[in-house]
Amino acid sequence: MLIAAILVFPSLAPNPYILSSGVIVLNWAVLATAWNFVGGFTGYISLGHGALAGLGGYATGLLITKAGIPSFVALILAAVLVAALAVPIGFAALRVRGASFVIVSIALVLILLLVFQSWSSVTGGSRGLVVPRPFPGMLRPEHHRAFFFLYGGLLILALATWWLLDRSRFGMGLKAIREDEDKAESLGTPTFAYKLTVFVVSTAFTALAGGLYALWFGDLDPVFQFSVLTGSYIVLMALLGGVRNLFGPVLGAIVVGIALEYFKVEFGSTPLHLVTTGLLLGLVVMFMPDGVIPSVTGLAQRLRKREQSSIREFTAADLAEQRKRDREGATS
Amino acid sequence: MTLETRGLRKAFGGVVAIDGADVQFQPGKVNALIGPNGSGKTTFFNCVTGMIKPDSGSVLFGDRDLTGRAPHVVARAGVGRTFQLCRVFPRMTAVENVLAAVRPGGLLHGLRSAHRQDETERAHGWLTRLGIEHLAGAEARNMSWGQQKLLELAGVLMAEPKTILLDEPAGGVNPALLDRIGTLVRELNAEGRTFVIVEHNMDLVMSISDHIVVFDRGRPIAAGPPAEVRADERVLGAYLGV
Amino acid sequence: MPSGALLLQSIILGLLLGGLYALLAAGLTLYFGIMRVVMIAHSAFLILAAYLAWWTNDRLGIDPLLSMVVTVPLFFGAGVLLQRGLLSRLRPVTLTMMSVLITFAIALIIEGLLGYVFSGTQRRIQLGYGTESFNLFGARVAVVKLIAFALAAVSLAGLYVLMKRTQFGWALRATIQHPDAARLVGIDTERTAGFGFGLGLATAAVGGTALSLDTTIYPSLHWHWIGPLMAIIVVGGLGSVPGAAAAALVLGLAQSLLQIPMGATWAQTVFYVALFATLAVRPQGFFGGRLAQRF
Repeated sequence: MLIAAILVFPSLAPNPYILSSGVIVLNWAVLATAWNFVGGFTGYISLGHGALAGLGGYATGLLITKAGIPSFVALILAAVLVAALAVPIGFAALRVRGASFVIVSIALVLILLLVFQSWSSVTGGSRGLVVPRPFPGMLRPEHHRAFFFLYGGLLILALATWWLLDRSRFGMGLKAIREDEDKAESLGTPTFAYKLTVFVVSTAFTALAGGLYALWFGDLDPVFQFSVLTGSYIVLMALLGGVRNLFGPVLGAIVVGIALEYFKVEFGSTPLHLVTTGLLLGLVVMFMPDGVIPSVTGLAQRLRKREQSSIREFTAADLAEQRKRDREGATS
Repeated sequence: MTLETRGLRKAFGGVVAIDGADVQFQPGKVNALIGPNGSGKTTFFNCVTGMIKPDSGSVLFGDRDLTGRAPHVVARAGVGRTFQLCRVFPRMTAVENVLAAVRPGGLLHGLRSAHRQDETERAHGWLTRLGIEHLAGAEARNMSWGQQKLLELAGVLMAEPKTILLDEPAGGVNPALLDRIGTLVRELNAEGRTFVIVEHNMDLVMSISDHIVVFDRGRPIAAGPPAEVRADERVLGAYLGV
Repeated sequence: MPSGALLLQSIILGLLLGGLYALLAAGLTLYFGIMRVVMIAHSAFLILAAYLAWWTNDRLGIDPLLSMVVTVPLFFGAGVLLQRGLLSRLRPVTLTMMSVLITFAIALIIEGLLGYVFSGTQRRIQLGYGTESFNLFGARVAVVKLIAFALAAVSLAGLYVLMKRTQFGWALRATIQHPDAARLVGIDTERTAGFGFGLGLATAAVGGTALSLDTTIYPSLHWHWIGPLMAIIVVGGLGSVPGAAAAALVLGLAQSLLQIPMGATWAQTVFYVALFATLAVRPQGFFGGRLAQRF
């Protein structure tokens, strides 16, 4: 269903602007799904994934401009480098429980912003970094279309990986960590190694999305690449859609991503963006911490006054709801 | 495989919780660890299972030194445990709770399905054995206290430990279940599993254990078979403050 | 080699700044001690208080210090409301994570509203005594910095006395150390926790006023404060007030001294370096902090 939507959308898009919005929404979808490797499985909330994407973008851009490496080789290499960097970061952040992880994730954004703004001889500083286009001869609509498919491929890869982990023993161990970390450890799960591994996987996908963005957009500004706001949008998307569902973050990305684009067109950039984001985040956390999908299905089930008795049934209902929303979301 | 500690010591700030404990549990038997509240029994469990690092002393399991090792290492060495305030994974189903105790092995093994048939069958086997098979698909948070206690035990058993530490198995359970837990421990012990039980219910302790260690102020003051311990003056002193 | 006077000046300024850090970190530590909450919005409230002080001076023409008459009780009330109305309603299991998001959301809302009401323009209080300074062995120390430090020091001392000497302080410490035991001896831990949050937020009101005296403020400034403050509470050992105070002074001093060779921007990295180093080497913090191991 999702694959079909991705294949069809570019031919349905009435103009390049809508198509470019589609690219942006897919970028969000990849980021939210990548975030969900950590957030969904282990329950650790990262507010710093925006910065990891920014790092992927800058790494890609710098490898192309400073080292003269071909665009897509640079993209892969950048993801590997950023994932490698995630090892020491995760080592510091994941040895103890959640609070330190959140603190490190925010600190990461702040320190990267500081470094990339100030170290202008390498990063271009506040002037930004111009990344050459990978397809020089291409017209803009074709360029958008190419990246739409690239992002679509990346999204499907990320979703497939998440699905694979979700049903694996490794995933079971991660979910045990989310439920009760001490207990998981006392049953023999090497919690630290598990958390670190999944954090690195999550970082790799995030960096790939950031790198693709650099290639597509062609211009990086530290203020936007290392913004706490980006990280909070990602969290909002994942939570809104539901972190326990394969397609939850995608759904959240479609809803929030489209809303963001809409507000940008209607109202421009105002401080009220922050207020709206904050209010939405607060409402989701207070009233539906499990996301829209479980809330809606839960409500539907209560209306039907039927006790859910097996997990299988629950998942099937979720998926049906999910598919419906995906269709609606992708074509609106 | 004998589980023993030598000179184990742990202090929290100025409060000495365990004060040089030399304890040797008898392999293949049901051991009980008793003592008044605050005598350091749970801290002792936490030190043995790696949840807390002891200040000094050592924890040995057979010829392996488990001192200060991470909890998962201790678990993999064959020492399983339950918690005083029974801990299960609340938003997983009963069968998933049991399956979560499966060792994934290496990374590639870790990518295998978590619901492999042989293991799922084994998990259902434990649920059946403990009499909660009918709840296999229910989320643990919807289960009663007693059912959660049985579920916790099922998870521990799934990991195939050689020695099982139970922290207050009788806490908050009704008399019928108490009987069942007593019988279960004896049966599981007869199959070759060593037990160490921290328990306040003296009827249960006296009826199921072969060897009793009495703790007071962070160290063992007596050890021996139930009849012997019951007659020991120091034990009465510790409990009654005589 | 920097001159002796410059060095002395940096040391003095570092200690003065460290005092303000210490007060604010004490607030953050209170929240964490009471509920294991990492309160991201602390510095947003700090900037809000600074704006209110600026506004008081700009519109009413009175001394910004007087704004505390209103902001301190107001923030205390807001803290109580925040704890009772929002944080205490979260599920205990996911409290730490979800409270981060809630307080993060509040920070965004405050930043957005400040930007909307006062615009993004940078603001600075113009005071009669704003440019005055005095000489101390060749070091120039601005009077306003000294006032800011004095405010922080007096508040910290007040907090200390409150915690150690008063009945409320005892109840609060009991609640932090062992909520179940505190309930058993008849302490209303819910109410105490609410007041504890109020107290924490009141430190932000005092700190914000002190900050407004000699700092140019703008809505997104709070991000420059929350990073260093969180680094301080981790280095100090989560949950330890004396640890946070010690870490605040040490890191404030380090920042000030590093400004000489590295410049103001790069000197800020000292906080993050200290944060990563602490977590990698000694996650429980360098100054005690009983709680930190598990979080």
